[in-house]
Amino acid sequence: MNVTEAIRADAARLLTEGRARMVIGYRLHHGRGVPVFLTAPERVDSLYYGPQCTLNLAAYLSRPEVRRSAPVAIVAAPAALRSLVVLAAESQVPEGSVLALAVGPDEYHGVVDAAAAAELLRTRYACLEADPDLSARAAELAAMSPRERSAFWQEQFARCTRCYACRAACPGCYCQRCVVEKNMPQWVSTAARGHGNYAWHILRAFHQAGRCVLCGACESACPQGIELMLLNISIAQNVQEQFGATPGLDPEAKPVMGTFRPDDKDEFIR
Amino acid sequence: MIENIYQPTVMRIAASRDETPDVRTLRLEFSQDRTRQEFFAAYRVGQFGLYGVPGAGESVFCVASPPTRQEFIECTFRRVGRVTSALQDREVGQTVTFRGPYGTHFPIDSWRGRNLLFVAGGIALPPLRSVIWNILDRRDEFGRIAIVYGARTVADLVYKHELAEWAARPDVQLVTTVDPGGQTPDWTGKIGFVPTVLKELAPCRDNCVALVCGPPIMIKFSLPVLTELGFTPDNIYTTLENRMKCGVGKCGRCNVGSLYVCKDGPVFTVRQVLAMPQADL
Amino acid sequence: MKVLEARKIGELAAALSGAGWRVLLPIEDGNVVRLAPWSPGAAVRTDVVPVNSLKDALFPPSEAIGRFGLDGNDFTVKEAPVDSARTVALCVRACDTAALGLLDTIFNWDFPDAFYNARRSAVTIVSLVCTSADEQCFCTSVGGRPDATVGADAVLRPAEAGAKLIFEPLTDKGRALVSAATALLADVADATVVADKPAEVPQLFDRPAVTKWLGANFDSPLWQDWSLACLGCGACAFACPTCHCFDIQDETTRSRCVRYRNWDACALSLFTQHAGGHNPRADQAARRRQRLMHKLSYIPERFALVGCVGCGRCERACPAGLGIVEICQAIEEIQKVPAR
Repeated sequence: MNVTEAIRADAARLLTEGRARMVIGYRLHHGRGVPVFLTAPERVDSLYYGPQCTLNLAAYLSRPEVRRSAPVAIVAAPAALRSLVVLAAESQVPEGSVLALAVGPDEYHGVVDAAAAAELLRTRYACLEADPDLSARAAELAAMSPRERSAFWQEQFARCTRCYACRAACPGCYCQRCVVEKNMPQWVSTAARGHGNYAWHILRAFHQAGRCVLCGACESACPQGIELMLLNISIAQNVQEQFGATPGLDPEAKPVMGTFRPDDKDEFIR
Repeated sequence: MIENIYQPTVMRIAASRDETPDVRTLRLEFSQDRTRQEFFAAYRVGQFGLYGVPGAGESVFCVASPPTRQEFIECTFRRVGRVTSALQDREVGQTVTFRGPYGTHFPIDSWRGRNLLFVAGGIALPPLRSVIWNILDRRDEFGRIAIVYGARTVADLVYKHELAEWAARPDVQLVTTVDPGGQTPDWTGKIGFVPTVLKELAPCRDNCVALVCGPPIMIKFSLPVLTELGFTPDNIYTTLENRMKCGVGKCGRCNVGSLYVCKDGPVFTVRQVLAMPQADL
Repeated sequence: MKVLEARKIGELAAALSGAGWRVLLPIEDGNVVRLAPWSPGAAVRTDVVPVNSLKDALFPPSEAIGRFGLDGNDFTVKEAPVDSARTVALCVRACDTAALGLLDTIFNWDFPDAFYNARRSAVTIVSLVCTSADEQCFCTSVGGRPDATVGADAVLRPAEAGAKLIFEPLTDKGRALVSAATALLADVADATVVADKPAEVPQLFDRPAVTKWLGANFDSPLWQDWSLACLGCGACAFACPTCHCFDIQDETTRSRCVRYRNWDACALSLFTQHAGGHNPRADQAARRRQRLMHKLSYIPERFALVGCVGCGRCERACPAGLGIVEICQAIEEIQKVPAR
């Protein structure tokens, strides 16, 4: 049985047994893996899994329409499993409300909950290793002088139209009202201009610090091709160095940026 | 010099009056007489404008004073957000921006010789108040006038001293009411929801036009009462308040069905309102 | 007829730039192809639909529509300059020019928008006939065609399997380009170079039938199903050549205030949020419905135009692959089921 068939079988079983009222998976449309929402076991034949399925379906777990259909099962590759674990650690997925149909690059791991997903990740997918091209680009960026790096990002952010596809596609961005949507005071300019775009992207990257699982959904979603992952990986590397933390491996973990430890480095205080 | 349709004119706050703890009326004067004349050449009762403070933005309110009084315009609004707070933080003598008049108006000329019924709730009296003043300024042209106005509590009634003036006039029938529990010990008006009071009053059934403005629930329950009284969807008028930004039919925000509240409204007959997708209102 | 070597589009851009035009054309920009200002060395790409459209050049993502001087509690109203730099947009698609009808109408509906009109008057549009289409294209389903020239000042028709481009001026503005490009435009006798066939774009749905269904099915429960995948971003609206909704925001420093208009989208949750707390479109189904209804029901009813040009950018831009076609085809399927 290949991965697609295995997913279909388990999806049908979960829906029939009532262990899930909705299965969120992928279907193939115009060469892309796009989300499909199934509530009837007879419809599982539309499910498909393959390399075109890169969208992180955990982004749907905070949508009110999905929450109302709990328990929900999502098809999840390792990055999405990490997202599920982070959401569980942040109390965003009530106990028993979400299951994952866990898939690896070429194999199917079966149905897991957040705790079992974390176990699977720790044993099989512990290394949050970024794509080698991305790491190489990140190293290039780090080697630039601050002035060169600033020019690089100014050019990148000049393309941003503030569509917020990055925010929409990110499972970690689930605030009911985003910081850019607050206007008393208006913390961040909403205009698609240099200063506001800079503030938006850096702010979002910092809000994901210690929470970003490097799934790449933001960069894939960006219609302008902005290299958002370079921001995220720089911060993720920093978090790893400073706090030794890798998000998405422990559903009981306390948030890195929200927790103080006596041995946290403090050499920036002079 | 190109004409910028988004460029506002500067108005000076000539007077301000707090109607309730968070509702204020501002009386604004044009800073140039030519602009004042241009405005009044165009303004018809029911239209709206955009009032603003540079730095905070602009907000949409009806013009709460009539075209018959041309030294000033007035607006009445509640402090609910960034722009209304900035407007209420301005003092008498300071300036605000204004753009208008925009939108459709009440066809009062076609109501000559007819009886008029005004039904309003709470903060929704301002758009009707401009019509009431307009009608009173041309009293002889119209028939009987009945006003039913209610609010949740006595404190929520706006234009309190004007209500007293209208009540004192023999040629106006005014009934004010507050919701049960909203009365004060010295309250002498009615106690009851507006639709209930309207039904009791059963004002002008013949040759009458109704203007209704209030929270959705009040309108919902007033319409059947008006229908019973013999009104039809074509002779009941209302004004809608939608989220607006540009006021001139371009930004898309106030689009409901195939209508734009800023261009096809804000004044609508109930027939027009019922033809809109109700869920989008 | 005038003929340009297709590989010399960059040189044409350079020549026009040298003659004082700001030149926009589809170029590689990082990982995407965008309709963007030409600069020396820009890699021209005419094989794909750019991620953005001509809309950007007429109605940019953010522009100043008001300026004020601030002085303590006082302010002065200043002029907001318009942009009327002479611009030529090269290799624009027929779907982009098809959007001009609606944009021109909205931005001149009773109140002429000087910012849009200045850019509109200053731009010369040279369209490129599409000889290929991808799976997302559907111009023929909404009254368009890959070789339509309405709205263009000149058209480039690929010929000899795309190696050449026949340059055909259609208006005075189009003709005005010729003198700047004489070195690149070869004069050949008419009919010696034959244009390639335009792309075949199969019709995917019956738009008038869809409009009719939409007009009667505002309350359909199907809107819930059709919007589950929608994440509520503005990618589709921003990529769309006809979408024109905007927000107005003031930004200040101590001494001045600039009033910007910024692109906005009905899919975003705060679009219709009232300050008092009420939101008429409180869930994504209502918001997605508004997008479809506005484009395919309200705009046809109100302006006798179609609010969609079939370019497919929405589907390409959407993180979840949502577009217009699937819903329209689903609507057609529903209409085929006989009423019981």
